[in-house]
Amino acid sequence: MGGIYIKNKWLPYLLILPTILMICIFKIYPIIDSVIQGFSSADSNFTLDNYKLLFADKTFWNSLKVTLKFNIIIIPIQIVVSFIMALFVNVKIRGIEVFRTVFYLPFCISLTISTVIWQMMLNVNNGVINSMLGVLGLRPVGFLIDKKWALLSIVLISSWRGCAYWMMFILAGLKGIDSAVYESAKIDGSGFFNTMFRITIPLLKNTWLFVLVANTTANFLLFAPMQIATDGGPQGSTNVLMYEAYKSAFKYSNRPRQACLVTILLIIVMLICFVQNRFMTDKEAHK
Amino acid sequence: MTLKQKAFTRKVLIYIALIIMAVAALFPILFCLSASLRTQDDLFRNMFPFSIKSLIPTAATLENYVIIFTKHEFWRPIMNTMIVTVFTIIFGCILNSMAAFAFTCFEFRGKKILYPLVLISFMVPFEAIAIPLYSVASNLNMVDTYAGMIIPAVADGLVTFLFIQFFKDIPPSLVEAARVDGAKWPTIFTKIIMPISVPVFVTAGLMIFMNQWNSYMWPLLVARSKDIRTIQIAISQFSGERSIQWTYIYASSMVSAIIPICLFLPFQKHFVEGITAGSVKG
Repeated sequence: MGGIYIKNKWLPYLLILPTILMICIFKIYPIIDSVIQGFSSADSNFTLDNYKLLFADKTFWNSLKVTLKFNIIIIPIQIVVSFIMALFVNVKIRGIEVFRTVFYLPFCISLTISTVIWQMMLNVNNGVINSMLGVLGLRPVGFLIDKKWALLSIVLISSWRGCAYWMMFILAGLKGIDSAVYESAKIDGSGFFNTMFRITIPLLKNTWLFVLVANTTANFLLFAPMQIATDGGPQGSTNVLMYEAYKSAFKYSNRPRQACLVTILLIIVMLICFVQNRFMTDKEAHK
Repeated sequence: MTLKQKAFTRKVLIYIALIIMAVAALFPILFCLSASLRTQDDLFRNMFPFSIKSLIPTAATLENYVIIFTKHEFWRPIMNTMIVTVFTIIFGCILNSMAAFAFTCFEFRGKKILYPLVLISFMVPFEAIAIPLYSVASNLNMVDTYAGMIIPAVADGLVTFLFIQFFKDIPPSLVEAARVDGAKWPTIFTKIIMPISVPVFVTAGLMIFMNQWNSYMWPLLVARSKDIRTIQIAISQFSGERSIQWTYIYASSMVSAIIPICLFLPFQKHFVEGITAGSVKG
């Protein structure tokens, strides 16, 4: 149907009007508003004071550190684990459909519910995980209340659901690879790892680009597990920028601070995605 | 080792790896189910030291489910979530498919600007705009209303994109033939395009369902009153109460998970198609 472009004076506008209008009001305007607010003083003049105030704040620098640390850990873990899951689920073997369905299941459980369930399972006194660790002779670990473990526990909680999600995209990419490619690699005597690093991974270029960018964005803006399970604690060890932004707006009623935080966060995400994009396309140019 | 033995060992190893991953995926869900069927006393008493009783109820009971529905009025957040979800699906499917129809079928001024606008909108992460969006909702008097949860979620760039991808593949001859017969555009859309687009409507509907059923941040901001809060908010607030019994939380989590799971199992294919649409083809 793509071929027929028909001219009609008002009908197409009428058809797109509601969608475009809502996208402008609910998606585009809030971003612009947020950026402007960060640079506005109380009497709506241009100012850099909000940013100056933020940069002088220790909490901000701690949150920035936590955010970067969290993402440096979680992004590679999620991508590697989802890739391994996708590779296994893509094997043609009896009963694989069942495994695929099972692997998808955590995605059906919302992040809120996963957090709540894991929070109870990881509890020091009554949690089943600590009970099972006891079998190995380990003492109970305060997964969500110990500064050493809290951030890693959030990584675990988010990845349990997240990997199921990212696996779908990688699997879709794997399925898009022509099986003839593998056949010829096999005839040429290419081993498993050789095939994987020389053929599978490079062929998934578009998938990687999407998964990297989307995963980075999602994780940089993640805040529900922290809000529900740790409240940013213990001692600010899980207080990511997004949660700090949420608290600025709704706990401290400090809108300009929140606007600055979200703007900074978006700039970081855009920068990282830009670098990822460059890196991936550069690689292509060499070939 | 012969070739046959080698293939067999490979198979066994693959199954072992699959089973380990399946256990990791299933354990929290199964444990939640099991814990929801026992009393808190039974759960806590058998937790340490670890034994099979830590995982399986000594005496199964439905008491938790009864209590969350009667004493804690859990049906209310479920009803709220249903209302929000159903209306978003209806409006979302209609409006986004209309826009997609315009983009695929018509030539009009400004198309080159408006189309990228739609694409950009699905790359903007919702979390980033949620807080400033709250001011918009507040100015429109949408705080603590169903409309506040429904309307901002209706226009969805990814859903529009999904429809566009599907409409593109409809043979032009179908539409041309109807036009020759003198059919008007509304008739063409409802009588010709919609009937053959049922699969994409199912996919779009599922995607919207999943987004709305599981949405947390936006309802948390915009619908905080107890009367209209959704299921995700109800459970997170539930788990924040110190005095609450854990088994109630497990039971309510189970209730909230069972509906998406029931929709997911039969419609798996549509689901994955919808979610991956923007990545593979885009």
